[in-house]
Amino acid sequence: MSPTLQDHAELDPTLAEPFPQAALHVLRNPQLRKNVTHAIDVIQAKRAKLVAEKKDWEALRSAASAIRAQALEDLGPYLEQFEDRCTAAGGHVHWASDAAEARQIILDLLRQQNATEAIKIKTMTSAEIQLNPFLESHGVRAFETDLAEIILQLGEGEPSHIVVPALHVNRSQVREIFARRMGLKNLSDDPQALTAAARAYLRQKFLTIPTAISGANFLIAETGSVAIVESEGNGRMCLTLPRTLITLVGIEKALPRFQDLEVMLQVLARSATGERMNPYTSLWTGVTPGDGPQNFHVVLLDNGRSSILARPKHRQTLKCIRCAACINACPVYRQTGGHAYGSVYPGPIGAILTPQLQHMHHAQSLPYASSLCGACYEVCPVKINIPEVLLELRSEVVNQERHQVLRFFDPMYLGLRIANLLFARAWRFHLAQRLGRIGARLFTRKDGWIHSLPSIGGKWTQTRDLRGLPPQTFHEWWAARAGSPAAPVQTPPVHTKEAN
Amino acid sequence: MTPIADSRQLILDRIRAATQPASAAAPEENSSAGYIRHGSLTQEACLHLLIERLREYDAEVVESTPEDLPAAIATQLAASLKRIFVAPEGLPAAWLVPGFEWKIDCGLTIDEIEHSEGVVTAAFCAVADSGTIVLHHSPAEGRRLLTLLPDWHLCILRSSQVVETFPEYFSRVQVPPALVTWISGPSATADIEMTRIKGVHGPRFLHVILVHD
Repeated sequence: MSPTLQDHAELDPTLAEPFPQAALHVLRNPQLRKNVTHAIDVIQAKRAKLVAEKKDWEALRSAASAIRAQALEDLGPYLEQFEDRCTAAGGHVHWASDAAEARQIILDLLRQQNATEAIKIKTMTSAEIQLNPFLESHGVRAFETDLAEIILQLGEGEPSHIVVPALHVNRSQVREIFARRMGLKNLSDDPQALTAAARAYLRQKFLTIPTAISGANFLIAETGSVAIVESEGNGRMCLTLPRTLITLVGIEKALPRFQDLEVMLQVLARSATGERMNPYTSLWTGVTPGDGPQNFHVVLLDNGRSSILARPKHRQTLKCIRCAACINACPVYRQTGGHAYGSVYPGPIGAILTPQLQHMHHAQSLPYASSLCGACYEVCPVKINIPEVLLELRSEVVNQERHQVLRFFDPMYLGLRIANLLFARAWRFHLAQRLGRIGARLFTRKDGWIHSLPSIGGKWTQTRDLRGLPPQTFHEWWAARAGSPAAPVQTPPVHTKEAN
Repeated sequence: MTPIADSRQLILDRIRAATQPASAAAPEENSSAGYIRHGSLTQEACLHLLIERLREYDAEVVESTPEDLPAAIATQLAASLKRIFVAPEGLPAAWLVPGFEWKIDCGLTIDEIEHSEGVVTAAFCAVADSGTIVLHHSPAEGRRLLTLLPDWHLCILRSSQVVETFPEYFSRVQVPPALVTWISGPSATADIEMTRIKGVHGPRFLHVILVHD
């Protein structure tokens, strides 16, 4: 029996390991790191080229950011308008305050259709509410139809990226999964052949399964329309062939006007896959007689989003259009891949979105999964200042922790409290310096460096050396110098900057 | 249905509470500022750009005059080596060139569409900058399935339908239509090692005849 695609990934934030531990599994898997780096390099190069050719890129980013901000500012009225127009066009709108309610609504809708199977378009929102396992346990098999999602579903893997969910899997691994699960012994590992195998595997399912589940990229308030952006055509299949379509969508996905798409579509494809435009974008409004599903339901999901909306500095998190540009730009993701984030939303956006969706009760290590280099903010097509939100979240995590009784004796907090005392008075600080110098002598080697420290200090010296303390502090030197102006001999040369 | 009705109210109340006062979030810059709405190319250059973009997507493009269009269609169909074609109900009669088996979509079954080999349609518009063909699914463009199930799609574009930028397309739309499909090249994927593979589920072959009107 071949192993499944990953041995340790757990994308439920309530159960996942903290980021530093989870990342270790990936750091010890050179094949996975190679797969991730290769994919990221390709997307990054394509994106950079196409963004550079777009003369009005910065203006488009500003416009996209403003459109998303405005949508959030008046979110309530926009959602009501969407509901109105969609219902008038023959659609049905449902509201789910949390994941459990959304799952139940979808299951009830499937049961009304006596459905035992459903075809699915890739939707991260359904992964967020863990829809597939829920449906499975209630007798409904959900078939993923996006190529990457098929790879993961058949290989029993978890997504590691929001646009290219199987980017951690290489062609020979895909070949192995398809050969085993589709019974194709002589399948080659040529991507063309693998893609053809997926096409053949799904064709009959598209033509016969009468129920589909999708996500959505945008909801248009003005018209009550839904838009889906895709590449393969599996989306169009799911949107046109079945009799029943259930669309699960986060409440933040609303856009005020149809015309807003002129900006959003221009920035989305370039940011996501480095294409001028993705092959297919579909927009539909309720039900159209003679064309597509005649039974159409939208499930609007809150699941923590309204609480993010309520916090002014955090609200920008909801502007996200799930392009994954931040993920591709992130030096941390590049090393760890997606599974370490313990959530279906990895990378910088995941590091700010996941803890907030969990009401800061889980995933508290994620705001630290960043070097704060700002690359994510620079590429974000809707200008989410991710580092700013990361810092906000870090301060919340600290505030949570320091009031916990257990943390009272935590070496780090203990150390910080002592530092607080020492830094409060100059004499205490100087005393600590003198004592520290004596103490440090015990550990300083002849080369002037400290190579290993005992106890908690070892955490620092485990990965880096520490320079030994100098025999004299600057203050001491300065005081000595001021006291004996006649002895300038020891004064080191002073470098003065050239006047501008 | 009561709990669901309650959830609606609950969510809307939460949103209302979260978004008041309206000035809670930092003010944003003006959205109408800056980006390019109108292209600067001559019509000839604009058509040239469209052809270049479509070809980059692996679509095949030929040009034609209105008089030669039926002959151009016949040439394309013959070169495809396919025999059975579907056509939307509103496709101009002159485009249904003889010598091929035509199935006109007056309620064709899914099976009949699936078992045809190609499709010929008109389009609403095309955007040169991104190489995008826009379908509003009018009678000459057909319902959505027609341009999806057959493996081979021939789209007839008039040069007057070509705009340079995305915003120019949106300014041509007076009333937003109920259905829109934006097509930029044949179906594709890069899900395996970011290698672009043409043709997954949608038509693997996209052909365009650009008619200079």
